[in-house]
Amino acid sequence: MNKLGRYAAWIACGLALVGAFTMLRAPGQVRGLDIDGFSRLPVLEGGRLKPLDSTARNALLVIRGQQSFRYQDRTVGSGEWILDVLFRPQVADLQPIFVIDDPGVLGLMNMKVAKDRYYSFRQIAPFINEIQREANAAQAIEAKLRTQYQSAVANLFERVYLYHRLKNTIQLEQGQGLAAEIQARGSPGSEQRVGALADLAYFRPLPPLPGQKAEAWLNSGEALRSAAMGSVSPALEPLSRIAWAYSVQEAPAFNKAVKDFQVSTFSVRPEAQTHVDHETTFNRAQPFYVGMVIYVLALLTVFASWLWKPQILRPAAFGLLCAGAIVQTAGLVSRIVLQGRPPVTNLYSSAVFVGWGAVLLGIVLERMYRNGFGTAVAASSGFASLLVAHHLTGDGDTMEMMRAVLDSNFWLATHVTTITIGYSGTFLAGAIAIAWTLRKQFAPRINPETSKSLSGMVYGIVAFSLFFSFVGTVLGGIWADQSWGRFWGWDPKENGALLIVLWNAIILHARWGGFARERGIMTMAIFGNVITSLSWFGVNMLGVGLHSYGFMDKAFWALSGFIASQAVLMALAMLPRQFWKARASRDAGTGTQPAKA
Amino acid sequence: MLTVKNPVMRALTSLRLTIVCLAALMILVTAATLAQVGMGTVGAVNAYMRSYLVWWNIPDSQWMIPVFPGGATVGLVLMANLIAAQAVRLQATWSKAGLWLVHLGLILFVGGEFVSGMFQVESQMAIESGQTVNFIEGRDAELAIIDVTDPVQDEVYSVPARALRREGTVSLPGTPVSLKIHGYAQNAQLRNRAPTDPPARATAGVGTAVTFVQVPPVSGDNEVDSSAAFVEPIAGGRSYGIWLASQALGAPQSFTHEGRTYQMVMRHRRQYLPYAVTLKKFSHDKYAGTEIPKNFSSLVHLSNPATREERDVLISMNDPMRYDSKAFYQASFGKGDMLSILQVVENPGWLIPYISCVLVAVGLIVHFTVSLMRSSRKREAARLAQSAQEA
Repeated sequence: MNKLGRYAAWIACGLALVGAFTMLRAPGQVRGLDIDGFSRLPVLEGGRLKPLDSTARNALLVIRGQQSFRYQDRTVGSGEWILDVLFRPQVADLQPIFVIDDPGVLGLMNMKVAKDRYYSFRQIAPFINEIQREANAAQAIEAKLRTQYQSAVANLFERVYLYHRLKNTIQLEQGQGLAAEIQARGSPGSEQRVGALADLAYFRPLPPLPGQKAEAWLNSGEALRSAAMGSVSPALEPLSRIAWAYSVQEAPAFNKAVKDFQVSTFSVRPEAQTHVDHETTFNRAQPFYVGMVIYVLALLTVFASWLWKPQILRPAAFGLLCAGAIVQTAGLVSRIVLQGRPPVTNLYSSAVFVGWGAVLLGIVLERMYRNGFGTAVAASSGFASLLVAHHLTGDGDTMEMMRAVLDSNFWLATHVTTITIGYSGTFLAGAIAIAWTLRKQFAPRINPETSKSLSGMVYGIVAFSLFFSFVGTVLGGIWADQSWGRFWGWDPKENGALLIVLWNAIILHARWGGFARERGIMTMAIFGNVITSLSWFGVNMLGVGLHSYGFMDKAFWALSGFIASQAVLMALAMLPRQFWKARASRDAGTGTQPAKA
Repeated sequence: MLTVKNPVMRALTSLRLTIVCLAALMILVTAATLAQVGMGTVGAVNAYMRSYLVWWNIPDSQWMIPVFPGGATVGLVLMANLIAAQAVRLQATWSKAGLWLVHLGLILFVGGEFVSGMFQVESQMAIESGQTVNFIEGRDAELAIIDVTDPVQDEVYSVPARALRREGTVSLPGTPVSLKIHGYAQNAQLRNRAPTDPPARATAGVGTAVTFVQVPPVSGDNEVDSSAAFVEPIAGGRSYGIWLASQALGAPQSFTHEGRTYQMVMRHRRQYLPYAVTLKKFSHDKYAGTEIPKNFSSLVHLSNPATREERDVLISMNDPMRYDSKAFYQASFGKGDMLSILQVVENPGWLIPYISCVLVAVGLIVHFTVSLMRSSRKREAARLAQSAQEA
């Protein structure tokens, strides 16, 4: 790398990182209200302590599929939205937050499929009984046997119910407000209202009372109940002021109430605030989204470098790739710290980690071969895997608690991480093979050295993935032996891992035996993508076995499309030489057929 | 590489055979995975992996034809190929040391799986809170004849399912009683007799009041068969009638011969242990404010009079109790968290995969390191040659 190139790499990397940092700035106030301060409050939900910001983002993501929306010509963020839901339900009911696509469900509400797919609660409310009836009928059927309409109506009802619970978390939607409820504690009728509130509440914002266990956070119904028994939570009073001040949009009073509430929580559980502040920062930084953008820039830059000024643009692309890797690493480390868990705990985090592994491998390859291919392949793998991860967030919280059998940091760290690195390697080998194929098809000229180096890369990476997928698979067996006494249970996920091991072994043996040369190895490496994607996602669709932790019917079509695309690429790779565009240097490769004169 | 003249040996040691076997294994694994949806894990694995041939039932007929080699065949061929190639083709040099280790590890690994397949015994121990249990139960059934005359100690005679299936007469050693088996069903349902039902085969006991319907054995992993048999106890030349013994019946039935009372129970095959396990407490923790299970654990007391062992053991998820060459795992629970079900596994080959995994991992590292060093030496040599040329 020359001097100019080195500068280009550092400058590109630095600029990208500065761009990433700008995500961290605090959002401005809305109508003078300190929404940021409110979003930072710690709450207990889904078994763990998190900022209200996470709860609001995830709830909006589940209901609408996005973390913010446009309403009356401005963007409403999740923080403002949750405040409206909690304290001004009459306003929230008008906001178009329910995404409904299914024509059957729309027909149930006497509506047609329109361009705008979003509906407000007010539009849905008149049909709530029909929706509930249909949803109950659908829920009696096993999830994977439901029709599209049945899944859609059951899903809509779940979202409406979540919305209903949110509205009744701090105070009853139809009640007189939290302040009035505190006043009326112990009076006739209050017990019933408080009971309803305690049952419906979606999250617990009030810290444990003195002498209670650290995780015994309360919802406002429970706090009112214990207040009636004489132990009043000191945070209850400021919470009631938050509720009142927001409902009348009194900015100064609201901001002061939020401060007071923060102080009273902090005095009981100081460590909770620090923990959730980290998560708020993480939410705001959106490292995986930012990483995705940087990878796209890197990819575009490397494409440009093949046409123009390679001495500057190729290092610049490498700099961008490194910036993306830094941002993604920071995101991964944040998740590890926040969860207190190894990096891979569910399908979402496995996608993030697969991409991360592929990017790091790509960086190493680029340093070794310096021809831009490492950068291109790493950036596209990073981008693709983060895109997949992005589409796996629809279930809400991506840092949910681990079920009992998975609750073992040691095995999560060893088995799950190793096997995921194996996935990364197999995908990267496939990506390089795709690059090889496209280059043969579309590049005007090919120098034999690049071909040879691509082939070397694929061999090295297949060997790397064989090692990690074998060790990961056997470690999984050992975990199974440790936890239920069966080394190998022929569970679909185990079988999927075994298929990857076998396929990588076949590739290596075929190469050693000379049965497959450059083109054959490349085609086989692309097929490795198919096998890995099936064993990663496909087995979850079977809905059997211990690993079927995420059944996804929507992903079925995405997966089928991916496999079809790989089949096309394999066909392209197999095309005889006379179909290649790059015919200029016939002697270049070591193809299985001798070149025709 | 040595040249192999014998054509059989050449085929047996060829790399092509390795690849064909690996590919066949991939096809079998894929088929076994897909078949699990309909057949359950055990059924699919028995059909595809633990068989020598994969059979296909011609639709609407009794005919079965083999369509593919089964997992056991492919495994054996692959082993033969691996061992033969190892012995004949692969040179014993330091540069091949990694491959030697990998292949040795694999041979050990597959051997270990054969050991597990043949000798692994899986049973269960179900204990209610406060209860003491000194036996484990298998998946298949047995007919137990229990002499309950002595109030202090029971004498238990058991007839395994395969003896019941043979029918004929079984005599209980040390007693005047022999049993004539009139029929056995691996899975049968019972229902109250309706007026139109054919006459009952049983002539004594509850069996006279119920109708017996034979159903196909279950295949799912979480289902169990309910076995039943028609048994005629004969003692001192006298028949005590034909009784229906079934796992679907709750209370034991009994007959008395010469002052001794014998109970007849159809139950899961029991193996009595020389020690006893008492469930002191079963815990089912959840994450705060949710129904997500955090941990299951059973605090048990182990009592072995022979070795004078008296100690408490906590069995939890991912943390089994290994005792008496058996491993006791937390498997399930029930009855409102009052019942804990432990999976009990006895597998003499349980250590083999651990050793083979280490061998293969080390072998792969050695081999790839050697390859990497060789290729970088080559690249270095090429670079030197080039610079020499330029100079």
